[in-house]
This record gives sequence, C-alpha cells and structure tokens, in this order.
Amino acid sequence: MSDPYADDAPEGRIQLGFLARLWPFARPYRRGFTACLGILFVSFALELLGPWVLRQAIDGPMRGAGPTDERLRALGWHGLAFLGVTLAGAGLGYVYGLLTAWNGQRVIRDVRRALFDRLLRAGLSFHEKQTAGKLTTRVTSDVENLNELIATGVLQSVFDLLKIGGVLVVLFWLDVGLALFTVATTPVVIALSLLFRRNAQRAYRAVRGRLALQNAYTAELIGGVRTTRAYGREDAVALRYGERNGATNTAWLATVFHFSVFFSLVDLALRATTVGLLWFGGTAVLDGSLQPGQFVQFWLYYGLLSGPVKELGEKYNVLQAAFASCERVFGLLAEPAFPPPRPGGAPGLPSPRRGAARVEFAAVDFAYGPHAEVLRGVSFAAEPGQTIAVVGPTGAGKTTLLGLVGRLRDATGGSVRLDGVDVRDLDPAQLRARVAYVAQDLFLFTGTVLDNVRLFDPTVDEAKVWAALTTVGIADFVRSLPQGLQAPVAERGGTFSQGQRQLLAFARALVVDPDVLVLDEATASIDSEAEARLQQALAAALRGRTALVVAHRLSTVRAADRILVLEGGRVVEDGDHRTLLARGGRYAGMLAHAAARA
Amino acid sequence: MLPRLQRFRSLRRAFGRPTALLRRHWGRVAIGAALVPAHAAAMLWMPRLFGDALDAMAAGGDRSALLATCRLLLWLALAEAVTRYISRQTLVDASRYVERDLKDALVAHLQRLPMRWYDRARTGDVTSRLTQDVELVRFVMGPLLLHGGSALCLLPAGMWLMLGMDVPVTLASLGGFAVLFLTMRLLVPKLHGWSKKSQEAIAEVSQRAQEDFAGIRVVQQFGLVERERAAMATRNRRYLLANLRQTRLRALMHALTHSTSGLVMLGVLAVGGWQVIDGAITVGQLFQFTGYLGMMTFPLEILGWTVATLPRAYAAGIRIAELFEEQPEPDAGDDASLRGGLRADGLTFTYPGSAEPALADVAFELPAGGKLGLVGGVGSGKSTLLALLLRYYDPPAGALRVDGRDVLTLRPSALRRLFAYAPQEPFLFSDTVAANVAFARDGASAAEVDAAVAAAALGQDLPALKDGLATVVGERGVTLSGGQKQRVALARALLSDRPALLLDDTMSAVDPATEARILRGLAARRGGRTMVVATHRLSVVADADLILVLDRGRVIERGTHRELLAHGGRYAAAWRLQTEAEALGGGTEGAA
Repeated sequence: MSDPYADDAPEGRIQLGFLARLWPFARPYRRGFTACLGILFVSFALELLGPWVLRQAIDGPMRGAGPTDERLRALGWHGLAFLGVTLAGAGLGYVYGLLTAWNGQRVIRDVRRALFDRLLRAGLSFHEKQTAGKLTTRVTSDVENLNELIATGVLQSVFDLLKIGGVLVVLFWLDVGLALFTVATTPVVIALSLLFRRNAQRAYRAVRGRLALQNAYTAELIGGVRTTRAYGREDAVALRYGERNGATNTAWLATVFHFSVFFSLVDLALRATTVGLLWFGGTAVLDGSLQPGQFVQFWLYYGLLSGPVKELGEKYNVLQAAFASCERVFGLLAEPAFPPPRPGGAPGLPSPRRGAARVEFAAVDFAYGPHAEVLRGVSFAAEPGQTIAVVGPTGAGKTTLLGLVGRLRDATGGSVRLDGVDVRDLDPAQLRARVAYVAQDLFLFTGTVLDNVRLFDPTVDEAKVWAALTTVGIADFVRSLPQGLQAPVAERGGTFSQGQRQLLAFARALVVDPDVLVLDEATASIDSEAEARLQQALAAALRGRTALVVAHRLSTVRAADRILVLEGGRVVEDGDHRTLLARGGRYAGMLAHAAARA
Repeated sequence: MLPRLQRFRSLRRAFGRPTALLRRHWGRVAIGAALVPAHAAAMLWMPRLFGDALDAMAAGGDRSALLATCRLLLWLALAEAVTRYISRQTLVDASRYVERDLKDALVAHLQRLPMRWYDRARTGDVTSRLTQDVELVRFVMGPLLLHGGSALCLLPAGMWLMLGMDVPVTLASLGGFAVLFLTMRLLVPKLHGWSKKSQEAIAEVSQRAQEDFAGIRVVQQFGLVERERAAMATRNRRYLLANLRQTRLRALMHALTHSTSGLVMLGVLAVGGWQVIDGAITVGQLFQFTGYLGMMTFPLEILGWTVATLPRAYAAGIRIAELFEEQPEPDAGDDASLRGGLRADGLTFTYPGSAEPALADVAFELPAGGKLGLVGGVGSGKSTLLALLLRYYDPPAGALRVDGRDVLTLRPSALRRLFAYAPQEPFLFSDTVAANVAFARDGASAAEVDAAVAAAALGQDLPALKDGLATVVGERGVTLSGGQKQRVALARALLSDRPALLLDDTMSAVDPATEARILRGLAARRGGRTMVVATHRLSVVADADLILVLDRGRVIERGTHRELLAHGGRYAAAWRLQTEAEALGGGTEGAA
C-alpha cells in the first residue's frame, strides 16, 4: 500500500532545459530583464564601494594627523560620498523591485493565458482523465509559482554566485593570507548547508504531505458532517483528525530541530571564522603587515559574503518548487489541441449555415484505445430534416456516436460526413456552429438565466431569447421568477426541476439555431413537466433540422424517421417504427418488455 | 479605566485559550524564556571584545592578550549557539504543540455543533479559521515569543551599552533604524489590504477556470472557446493590475530595508568619525558600535513585523474564539432502544429563514420492518423528511414519532443509532476504500467489510483500483465515479447494521442492471429492517409497503405500487415513461 503521508508532488529537479522553454514567454520583456541584470551589477559595485569609503575614512581623516578642521572637512566629504552610495543603492533597489515585478507579472499573465487556451482546446480524451479542480490548480497556483523563477529566482541566484566570486576576488586582492583562511573555513559551512538542506528537504516534504492530508481532512470533516452525525461518529472523526494533526505536528517538530541545529551551527561556524580572522588579522596588524583600516575593510567585505551564501540555500527550496510547477505547466502546454490543425496548416473547407444538412456515417469505427472498441462499422445517412432515433442498451456506444458529428471526438475508422464532406475537412468553428449538442442534463454556468440560454453571447438579444423560451414553453416560468431573465443561477442550478432544465437546454439550442441537432433525451422523472409540453418542445427543437436523438421515449422513436438499434457498437436493426415492429426483432422485443411491465 | 478593562477582556477572549494551552508546556517555555536573556548577554559581550582588540592592535599590544580575547570569544560563540539552539527548540516546539492542541480542541468542538450552524457556515471560512488563523496565533505563541523576547532583551541592553559609550553616535545610527521600523509599521498593513484584493482577483480567475473545465463539452461544442478566452483575459488582467498596484509598495519596502544598514553605517561614519577626530572615542569603539548595530537589524525588523502582525493575530484569535463560543447541540433525552416504527401526523416544517414550508401536513404510518418509498422531484421535501428523522432539525412537537415516542423526547445520538443513512451525494473521506466502508463501525472484520462490499456490488470495481480495498480515495487519491461513491456509501450503511436503513436517492448514478442486482441482494439481506427510500427512479420503490409522492412538500399521491398504477396519476405516468426508457436502453441519469 502506498504511503498516504508521502507528498506526491514531483521532486522538481533544477533543469535548465525549462528555462529554454520559458524563454519565448520572457522574450517580449527581454529589455526589462536586461535592465534588471544591469542594475544588479551596478548595485554590487556600490556595495563594494561602501566599505572602501569607510576604510578611506578610517585610515584617512580619523587616524590621520593634521588640523581638526581639515580632518573634519575630509570626513564630511567621505560622509557625503557614503550617503551618495547609499541613496543610489536605495534608488536602484526601488527600480529593480518595480522592474522584476512588472516583468514577472506580465510573463506569468502570458503563460496563464496560453495555458488556459491550450486546456480549453484540448480534446475530450484529455479532459476525461482530468478533474476540473486539478486543472484549475495548474492555471492558478502552478503558474503563480513560475513567478519565483522569472521575477527573481534565476537572475538573483546567478547574481548571488557572481557576487560570491566577486567578493572572494576582492578579499584575495586585499590580503591573500586572510582570504585563504576564510576560504578554508567555507567548506565547513557548505558541508553544513548541504547536510541541512537534505534533512530539511526531507522534513519539509513530510510536512507538506501530512499537512495536505490534514487540510483535506479538515474540509472533509466539515463537508461530511451529515454522514458523521448520522452514524454518531463524531468522536471517531475527531480522533482520526487528531492522528493526522499529530502526524503533521511530529513532522513540524523535525523541521524545528533541523532549523535549530543548523542555524546554531552555522552561526557558530561564522563566529569562529570571525574570531579566527581577528587572530590572524590581529597578529598581522601587530606585525605591521596590515593597516587597521585595511583590516576593517576586509572584515566588512567578509560580511558581504554571508548574505548571498545564506540566500542561495533558501532560494534553492523555492526554485525547486518553481521547477516542479514548471514541469507540470509545460507538460500541459504540450497537450495537443483538438481538433488538430489540418496537415500543412491548410484552412478547413468552409461550411456556412445553409439549413438542414445531410449527415452520413460511412463504416465508422471508434475506439478509446487498443482494446476499447466502442463503435464498429456504423453506417447510415440522415437526409436533411430527418430525425434519427438511436436506441440500445447502456454501453452500446450511443453517446459516443453523438459526439462524432460535431467533432467532440474523431472516428478512428471510416468517415462522418456533413453534406458529403468529411467533418475533419471542414473548418472546425463553422462545423461546430452548425451542430448543436443537447445533453441529458443542462450544464449550468454561474450567472443568470439569460447568460445560460444565450451562453454569454451579448450579440444575441433578449427578444431572441424570449422567442426561444416561448417556443419551448418555459417563458411563463422564467417570467414568474423574481428577476426574470436576470434571475441568478446558483451552482448546479438546484432551483430548476429536471423538466425545466430539459426545456432550458432546448431553448439554448434554439438560440444557436443549428442545422444539425444531436440530442441525448433525458429520462422522465416524477417532476417532469407535463409530458405533452416536453414533446411539443422537442418537436419545436427538431423542426427544420437534421437530428440524431438518443431516445428514451416511445413517443420520440415513433415520431422518428428512422430508428437505429445499437448493440455492442454495431447497428443491429435499422428502419422506421412500423417496419421494425413488423420484423419482430430486437426493437419489437424491447417494446414488448416495456408493455409487459407498465 | 473601563475601556482598558474591555481591552483586557477582548485580549483574553482572543488569546486566553491558546495561552492556557501554552501553559501545559510550561517547562519548555520556562527553559526557553530563561535562555533568551542569556543568549542576548553572550551576544552583547562580543562587540566590546572585538573593539578592544582592535584598539589594542592599533596601539601595538601583545599577542598573548589577543589570544586570551580570542579564546574568550570562542567560548562566548559556543554559549551563544547553545542558548539559541535550546531556546529556539523549546519555544518553537511549544508553539507547535499549542497549534496541535488548539486544532484538536476546535475539531472536537465543531463535531458537536448543531446542523443549523453548518447550514450557515461556509466550508472555506471554517477551514481558514482552522488553518490560517490558528497558524497566526501559533506565530504569536512561538516565534514571536522567541524573537520578540530576544529583541526586547537586545534592544534596550544594546542601546544602554551604546549610550554609555557615546551619545551622539548612538542617536545618529539609531536614526537609520527608525526608518526601518517606520517602514514596516506603515507599509506592512497596507500590503495586507492589497494582497487581499489580489486574492479576490485570483479567486475569480480560479472560479471561472473551474467552471469552464467542468463544462468543457458545452464550451467546445457551442464554440465558446474564444468567448471564454476573452472573459478569462479580462479577469487575468484584473489580477495583473491588482498585483501591479502592490509592486510600488513592495519595491519601496525592498529598497528601504536594503538601505537601512547603509543609513546606519552613514551615522556611524559621519558622527562616529567626528567623535573619533574629537577624541571622544577610539576607532576600536567605533568598530564596537558596528558590532552592536549589526545585532540590532534583525530584532528591529522582527519588532516591525510584530507590531504589524499583532492586530492580525488578534483578529484571528477572535475568529477562533467565535467558533468556540458557538453552543454545541445538546445531547439529552431518553436513551431508548428503538425498533423503527415511524409515524408522522400533520408534519409541517419550514427551514429557518425560508418563507415556504419544505414539508406541509405530511402524515403516514410505517410499522417497524416496513418499507417506505418517497418519490418526488428536486425540492419536493424527500431529503427534508430524512433530515427530520435524523433530527438534524427539530420537527414540531408530536408531529414525528419513532416507536410511538416523539423524536423530540429522544436523545439525538440514541435516535441516530437507529438509522443507517446513505445520501445521494455520499461523503467519502480521503482514506482507503475499506476505511470508508467501515466508517460507521469500529473493529469491523475483513469478512464483514467484504460482505458489505459484495452486497453493494462494489466488488466488480475493485480489480480496476490499484490497491483494491486499500486504495486511497478522495482529494489526494483516486477519484471514484459518482456511482462508485454511492455504492461505497451503501456498503457503509449496510456494514453499520442498524435497525433501519435510510437511502436518499442512493443509486441515481448506478446503471440499471447493477441497481437491480443490488436491490435483489438488499431484499434478501434486509431481514426485519425498516427501510425509507427516497428516489427519482420508481423501480427502486415498487416493492414498498407505502409510497408517498411528494410535490413541493405535500403528499399528492399515496399507496402501494399497484394502487398508484391503478390510480393513473403522476406516479403511473412516470412509471410508464421510465419503463419505456429502460426498455429502450437508457435508464441512468448522466450515463456516459
């Protein structure tokens, strides 16, 4: 059994390859990035300049001889120089902060836009394997993590490395002996850091995994309160929560331990180094081989080293998380769009609306994978304006068949044709404008009734919406809502009965005014609208169009021009109600079964 | 006087409980707190030694004195490291324990709150109190105690030492720190306000994305891709703007904090240099100053954060206290052993805050061991009736009886022990399938779990799950289909082995063939159990002793299946259509 406490996030190796893939997004802002790098170099120079001014002040006016006035005046100049350096540093720091934020925010906006677009266009075969929640996390938090990489991460880390190198060069230039001593102690600090990083990483991984589990459980114990209450399991749930809480706590304590030890040891190592510096530097000063001012300068430069060294350690964790996000985001950005672009980038054939179309299936096969064949050699044709009813047991492939017309999926064999042209050769946007799909249950977006009927298309005016609502016979109901068309639709649309949702789905299709309608008829529910009204609405929706209907009603199959009986992915019977009934085959058997139970 | 008293009271309200929890770890806290000043003393001793050494060097002192100083410094460094290690470990550990205990106490309390509280509560709000708010309070109880305490020792003592050396240099260099402190004090609260705005903006992005992905079929088939892209671009831009509005502030903070040390050094250089030239102090003492000042940067930054964080932590403490102040559901009444005879007389129930009754004048009688079918559409009152049986809400006195006793007189936990309940949208915890099935019963044997799994026809799905019954489901595990979840809930109900079974549209997402198999199994295993079944699918209740057809809270038809068919009303019409649908092959709502 897998360890439920393990963190499932990828380790996030630092792969420079991702930076190359990120580059196209950063490219438009390259000037900003270049400016940032420039600023970093100048600030570094300023940082080096500060201690130098200080040394000059100590060895010059402070320790020098001469009249006090002159020395004070010289000190004043040094002070001004130092002020200048400080102010310039602050100013540059401000501009740097602005620039990194601007660059980073714009890049992640572009990445988010590209990713969202990709996901909207990805095929159903992709979406069926994903949950909306996970994809949303990719678009929001994962893209957000990239910001660390773009805005400050890479630039700052590279710069920190350069800075360490630069300071070391200066230290050696100042005094080779002292520099050698400091360099000799750094392996200790680095070894400590490496050890700590490994331990701390493991500890944090444990925290992340356990905390995620605990937080999931927190939401669940609130969401699941009815279940808990019904079974009187309040104590058991609290106990289970306590276990997870305790597990997280243990993991936290481990991080506290690592941090306490690490910080104390690093502090100790750094302090010991400074004491060593004092000893070696002190003896050098006593020997007269080193000026006290030089010693102070060396001291201060040495202080410049500890900042970037510590920062690099901290950055590493952040960068790791950012690279993990990078991996996930780029994985999704590689997801191909569906329908795929035509070979050679040729545009699809135009397919303007021209009224009811002829829909033809020619030896169509469909499989979800090597051993998951759903449709086998399905052939039939719907003449313009005809209604074809599809019946057959669950799993026969009825819904899959509907999806092939508007290219929610593509046939894996044979050809689906609209007015004689393979749908794969048509312009996808125009094809989808001609084919509307009505599912069993209306998918409702958060918004108003108006939004849901015209699908957020402001070019559809309210009159047209009212006309559609009237045609399907739900206008009176909508008028009776306190806000009419503007009535808010809550998540999942709980306020509408099953029948009302079906009618709204018909209205949605009517507003689009498609040439072809593919429809998954809803099963009757006890709260169905009067059956007569639903039948009228269905008839209105089908009028003047070619339609493919997965039928669940006798009245619908009776009225259809043709009935296809689908079994195991094959058409086993094909004909109108009368013919099939007379044949006494599968269809006739189905009806006999219904009659016997009713 | 009074306002101060009130302030004290509200502080007690916010931090009283966490402080009491902290007291449980008083040993740790005492050791840690005692070592904080020791650590500060070790730290503050060092600059003096460095400064003196430097002066001795400049004056041409001897090596042995330098060696002695270095040796002392090493001992001090060791003392500093050890005291810091122990104080950090003890105090932060204590705060982590407070966090754990506070969360446990909160969860135990939440488990007792009445259902009407849950109706109003938003999950996101409660979880944020349980996570972020507790974390803020923990921060005050631990790191703030450590760093804040450290700052409170270091700052006055350091300042006193510096003032003792030279007043002008002290004042000048501290001026630089004042800038840092004011920056934190003024800018941090503003930043919090603006972060909130950007949080709201990203929430909008997230919500829209979630819906688009959930409704991807509609989005693609109706050609909404372009429109949704545009809608998202607008939200994305709003988020960008919300973020950019913060950047100037952030950049300013960045610049100011980074230039603080420069400003402090400027004070030391200019005023200190002047004092050196004046002969008031030595270069070594100047050096000593930089040592003290270097120690103060971090405590001052922390102090700035503290001042900015305390109001937020206080607000968090109040939000947590509010949860604790909610009254738990009283679990009082007769502790009867019940068999499951149900009776309703003129049962009318209106949800608090609603104008329309959810149930109106419902009456029925079902002897123990009988089967009651409830059919009706969305909002017809089926689930409300089940909720009243479980006493999630209080029905009017005398309107609902179990075994002849008014449910109001029964102890809620005793009443609930009567029922096994499987809701339409079953709740699964992030745990193994087996643990979810065995949720209702401690110590269920593997054989019992297997039997329940078989009875709920869940066995057919197990081979497809990678670890079978040990597969972890939910947030961080495998996502089960709606039908699978429903069958887990059913198995859970069956394993609980209660005298009565409440099924609330439990098989709406299960295909008809499987459903029929489950129903046959249930009928065989049912024994003398009472059953109440709410459903859309009439075949589930065809064998019920009594069927109530509900519409907007009222019973519009009643009788057995036969009687209702003969009556020729709503039930009969729906039955005919559902039979047709089943024959034509459909039957499941939302089947792929």
